[in-house]
Amino acid sequence: MAKKMGRRARKFAKKNLQSVMKRKRKLNALFKKKFAPRKANSDSPEESKKLKNDMQTPVDPEEEILDGLDSTNLFGDLFIKEDDDFDADVSDSDGYLSEDPECPYISEDEEESCPEEMCNDVVLLEQNTEINQTLKHQKRKLFKLCKKAPQFSKFLESRRSELIKSKSEEIYSDDEGDTSSMDDEYIVENEISQVSKVITSSTVDVWCWLVMEQPNWPGLANLLNAFRAACHYGLDTGEVSPVKIANREVFSKILTFVLSEAKGIFCRLLRISGCLNKDTILKMTNKPEWKTMRPLIKSFLRSSLFLLNQETDSQVLVFVLSQLRLSILLFSAFPSLTKKLIKISIHLWVTGDKDLCASSFLILRDIASEFSLDNIDTCLTKAFGAFIANSKFMKPQNIEHIEFLENSIVELYSLDIQKSYQKVLVSVQQLASILRLALKTKKKDELKKIHSWQYINCIGLWVKFVSCNYKNHDLEQLLFLIIGVIKGIAHLFPGPRYLPLRFKCVKMLNQLSFSSGVFIPVGSFLFDCLEIRGTNNAEGTKLKHLDFALLLKVPKQLLKSQSFQQASILSAIKLLAEHLSQWCYHVSFPDLATIPLILLKRFHENTSLESVRRPVKRFIDQVQQNSDFIQRNRDGVSFSPKDKESVDSFLQLEKCDRSAAFTKFYNSMLQNALA
Amino acid sequence: MGKKRKVILPPDLPSEVADDDIEVSDEDLEFIGQNREYAGFLTNLDTKSIDRHVKRVAGHEDDDLEALYEQRKRKASLLKRNDDDDKLQVDPVDALPVKTLDGKLEYRTADRTKSEAITNEKDSTEENEKDTSVVKLTKKEKRLKVKKSRKEAKKEAKVEEKGNVGVEKLHTEVLAKVEEDLSAEELFRKKKIKLAEIGLQLLENPEENIKSLKELLKNCDDGNQNIVKLGLMSLLAVFKDIIPGYRIRLPTEKEMEMTVSKAVLKQRFYESTLLNSYKAYLAKLIAMEKQPSLRQVAVRCLASLLDAVPHFNYRENILVSVIKNLSSPDDTIRKLCCNATKSIFLNEGKHGGEATFEAVRLIASQVKIHECQLHPDSIEVLLSLTFDEDIGKSDTQEEAVKIKKKGKWKTQDGSNKVQGSEKKKTRQELLAKTREEVTADFKAVSFAPDSKERKRMQSETLSAVFEIYFRILKHSTDSHASRSKTDAASFSHGSSSLPLLAPCLKGLGKFSHLIDLDFMGDLMRCLKQLAGYSDHGTIQNPLSVSERLQCCIVTFRVMRNNLEALNVDLQDFFVQLYNLLLEYRPDRDQGEVLAEALKIMLWEGKQHDMQRAAAFIKRLATFSLSYGSAEAMAALVTLKHLLQKNSKCRNLLENDAGGGSLSGLVSKYQSDAKDPNLSGALASVLWELSLLTKHHNSSISSMATSIMSMGNVNPAQSQVFLSTASPLQAFRDSSVLCELSKPTSKSAISRQKRRELQKEYFLMDPEEMQKNGNLVDEDEVRRKLEDRFAVHKVITENERLRKELNHTLSSISLYEEYNRQKKQKRKGIPKSVLKH
Repeated sequence: MAKKMGRRARKFAKKNLQSVMKRKRKLNALFKKKFAPRKANSDSPEESKKLKNDMQTPVDPEEEILDGLDSTNLFGDLFIKEDDDFDADVSDSDGYLSEDPECPYISEDEEESCPEEMCNDVVLLEQNTEINQTLKHQKRKLFKLCKKAPQFSKFLESRRSELIKSKSEEIYSDDEGDTSSMDDEYIVENEISQVSKVITSSTVDVWCWLVMEQPNWPGLANLLNAFRAACHYGLDTGEVSPVKIANREVFSKILTFVLSEAKGIFCRLLRISGCLNKDTILKMTNKPEWKTMRPLIKSFLRSSLFLLNQETDSQVLVFVLSQLRLSILLFSAFPSLTKKLIKISIHLWVTGDKDLCASSFLILRDIASEFSLDNIDTCLTKAFGAFIANSKFMKPQNIEHIEFLENSIVELYSLDIQKSYQKVLVSVQQLASILRLALKTKKKDELKKIHSWQYINCIGLWVKFVSCNYKNHDLEQLLFLIIGVIKGIAHLFPGPRYLPLRFKCVKMLNQLSFSSGVFIPVGSFLFDCLEIRGTNNAEGTKLKHLDFALLLKVPKQLLKSQSFQQASILSAIKLLAEHLSQWCYHVSFPDLATIPLILLKRFHENTSLESVRRPVKRFIDQVQQNSDFIQRNRDGVSFSPKDKESVDSFLQLEKCDRSAAFTKFYNSMLQNALA
Repeated sequence: MGKKRKVILPPDLPSEVADDDIEVSDEDLEFIGQNREYAGFLTNLDTKSIDRHVKRVAGHEDDDLEALYEQRKRKASLLKRNDDDDKLQVDPVDALPVKTLDGKLEYRTADRTKSEAITNEKDSTEENEKDTSVVKLTKKEKRLKVKKSRKEAKKEAKVEEKGNVGVEKLHTEVLAKVEEDLSAEELFRKKKIKLAEIGLQLLENPEENIKSLKELLKNCDDGNQNIVKLGLMSLLAVFKDIIPGYRIRLPTEKEMEMTVSKAVLKQRFYESTLLNSYKAYLAKLIAMEKQPSLRQVAVRCLASLLDAVPHFNYRENILVSVIKNLSSPDDTIRKLCCNATKSIFLNEGKHGGEATFEAVRLIASQVKIHECQLHPDSIEVLLSLTFDEDIGKSDTQEEAVKIKKKGKWKTQDGSNKVQGSEKKKTRQELLAKTREEVTADFKAVSFAPDSKERKRMQSETLSAVFEIYFRILKHSTDSHASRSKTDAASFSHGSSSLPLLAPCLKGLGKFSHLIDLDFMGDLMRCLKQLAGYSDHGTIQNPLSVSERLQCCIVTFRVMRNNLEALNVDLQDFFVQLYNLLLEYRPDRDQGEVLAEALKIMLWEGKQHDMQRAAAFIKRLATFSLSYGSAEAMAALVTLKHLLQKNSKCRNLLENDAGGGSLSGLVSKYQSDAKDPNLSGALASVLWELSLLTKHHNSSISSMATSIMSMGNVNPAQSQVFLSTASPLQAFRDSSVLCELSKPTSKSAISRQKRRELQKEYFLMDPEEMQKNGNLVDEDEVRRKLEDRFAVHKVITENERLRKELNHTLSSISLYEEYNRQKKQKRKGIPKSVLKH
């Protein structure tokens, strides 16, 4: 397909249609591989089976991320623009290094002749033996035919060579233009080392020993080639590998050894002592050794990235990532590889399990903190985009994950406030404009946009960011904007159905208020739930537990249920306690508590819901107690409300001790909630 | 007649607005009045001379016509020519009847004069032009429809063609069916065209073609509903166009016996035909209004007739059906009727206010019949009523005002039949009977009742309005008392069962200055009961907070307008407000109502008891600690105002031990007291303000700061910064939307001077993070890698085997090809090889 396009068109496509091209290339390869024999024998039953297998090969994870971003750029669209030149040199020629011919090869006949003994995949094995048998049978047949007609074998050979010729032509015409890197000179074309050497375990042992003992041993290239082969193992790339891995021990040995020792080896070779840091890397690139080391390092990094892309087991990935992290600064010399690394890490960070998440986050954080500004930008935008794409749904399983993602984004964004402030501001302004539109039009579509986990998670993320950084930075404007947005959301969705959403808003407001010391009244958002009347005989819809964390709006059938009423009142009390606890040492606490107390007392008198009476009563008592405590204290003072300093110093001592009863009550409440 | 015309026409040309016309005719009448002998001359005129004069004046008429023509063209796009036509008809020249020799009145319509002028004078080109314009204007819709129908016909034809292409067997059947369809379609099209033609003829020359009305009417009985609809609509257009600007009075029998001239006969015939057709049309509409499929069209016709010709005969019938539909469940119908009713209320000039009164009376009876269970819209329309300010004033006063206000000819000449003759002026008494008749008829045409009449009408209307309102209030209080507890159990407002209360309260608020003092006591009692706060908490007041606040607002409005006359204790309402502040929920209740209540009860109130003021100050401060920015801002504005007016309350700002000597009955502040007078707020301190200074909304925090600083200022100075913003204004200014649109700066200023990357973790546990990499068991990794290798190996093996197998298979299959080739070669070769 690519052949048909003009040169300019191809260039354009390469620049702008990355994913398309990539897929095309892959498909091309597939078709070539699979359909080439088909030309000769099109109705073999095996063929179709094989094709089916191919269809099942997993999609390239990178593409998956991209697709995810594309479909969900509701809030992230302003950030998605940098993907264009991302893959510019992904297609860097990735070949083998020129080897040291002197390198020792110890040949042993230890190649596993029958892998059956260790492999668990019984089906495949059975299939193999089956095929093997038919193969034997067919070969015998062919042999007989050849015997029958000696001319036939000649005919066959001529046919075959024709086929091969046309095939190789195709490959080359497709590859042209892809190889354009300064590293070309170091790459040895496959044809040179047609004969692949078998690496046995003793060879590897010797190599490892040599590498560790003799820093300048030239066989390092061989080892790295073996590493590369190991990383590419199992992938039919069409090229012939110069090395062949003898058995499983060799395979794992090469991988683990190279990964764990690479940093040490390279440091020694570059004569860098101590830990790597920015300056040493900068110096290093000027050293004469760098020129010879560069291809080696690049090969290592590239192979590792390849391994990251291929591997699916999370533990192995964690291992690779943690080892790579030690030598992460080596990446800074290769911007294109860095971008690739970011891409892979983001993907793993978003999709991986807990450990994998953490280790990929560490990689990202290292990149963001150590590398050039350009990379920080990419990290921040990509991380945010991936977060948005992955925060569409809240399930019990992924609450923790999303929280982790949120935390890690906040960490990343907090690294350089100056830089990230712009991004956060733009994002919040975007949220605000969506909200404004919804407030004005009240259209269903607009409301839906806001009433989504994406929107709420996004706001929650920035709330976290602001509350983390408010103390050290002047984020007042951002704070006020976010407060406005949150209040707007709460205002936009009145009524008991949206109580969970409202609770979330109040929680965020409390969080902001707590971290910034600004007073944000929340009482009016919570008084509503005291007026919910459940029907007393709703035993049909009884639910054991209603988790508001997973809901934005309450299902209709539960609206009248007691469990909903109970859950909402308890949540409201919790949030109110949170709000009050922040000001429980303030001189105006009794006044702040006046209205909630009046309403709660009335609720307590009238409610028929026995299950909430006790906690409500306890809460009322505690608030009343603290109110009396403050009242007593302020009766004793002589300053007036306008005396700001005195007001601020009121009960400071107790505040530092956190000794008041209400604080204790609140803490115990928190602990109960956790338990 | 001709002379009169000459006087009138010149000023007529430039004027395009109806009012101006009236002014002109004013002079005209004065002229006639002063030169009474001319009137006699008028009576002596014969028709021939009139004709002659008309011819002479035709030049003017042409200009007039052109102006009109242009005017119409301008408005063509709006399809709103009715007004112009009306204007034309109301034109006093034509509106003024001409008395013929035999004592018969002859009415002229503009159309007639126009057409006469044209036929007599001008060539046909202009006429054609005019006609086409008329066509364009009135029948635009219809033309479109005709076009559409043509297109459909074409389509139909195509279908037929297709049918021809079809299978031979089916051909005849298909053709028959298509023909049938086609004929139906054709019929429909023809009928439409017919309708359009008749309509056009009628518009062109209503005099000649008045009989066609009956034909049009007949069309409305068609079986096809679309035709019926079209017929109704075209009749509507025709009637709107040709109905004269006066009410037609059919001649009495006695009059009929008299011998009259041909022209009069013709005119009589014209009028009676018009009236009869109109009557039939209305009857049809009212009948159709009961059919669900035609209801919308019928109501649309009725509503636009009511809007366009409220002066004409049978208005009462239209009104009945329109008012009945005011609370129709269908939104469009309701809206149409509401708009028509509102236009009746707003354009009293068209019908002299009678229709207003009738409409209100009908609404009242509706409310009565349905026991207040109507759609709120049916009461909402009353808000569009306007009453003269002086409606309650005495007669003598009014006389003066009336003359000053509308010193127009109508008033001078104003006598009417209904009222009787005692008010007639002496000069008029002397007038001949014929003259009397002329004026009376003229009055009927010009719809300008004298102010007496107008006043009477208005006061009757007003009392009907209040009858409605009081009925609703009464009903509300009754049901309030009988309402069971379960009703109020729902989360939502209790207003659903009292749909009319909200617009009723709104209306009472609007017309509060017109309420008769006699009703005041009852009204107050009702409102108090409605606003009433039940102390025994379990029984909820069925009214929503907004409605109760509305009650308070209405009370205060009423009170303010009649302050000197009434001595009612408003303490109860203050108690209500004091407690309602706690009941208020943003987003459920209307914040604007709360702000309005604050404004009218506290902010605008003249003097307050100090205890009460202090209690409100304290409550408002507490209120603003729990509620959103907009509510808090409204409360703080009120609070500040109260502090400014009650200088002694400023003690609340200072922390004097014991609250000073002012504490009164209650020495300690009771935050949960229900009565503001018993709360002992004077003993409290406004500590709330110190927390409010930390409020996230900067305007609230600065407001709190400014309030706190008021304590220092002595009363004399405080007048300087008396704030002008009302609570309502403050509420609107700090709404959620406003809060969102504040600008934000573009950069963050770091509190730390150096720009440095933050190395420490914020949210995560650094140790745990560092540990992360070491968690991995290397052996495990190795084992997994080995497994991976093994799996891959098997897979590679599998692939290799498959490849080889394919290869072999293909080789075998190639053998056949080989054989074939060999055969070809062997054709020339001896058979010996074959044997082998």
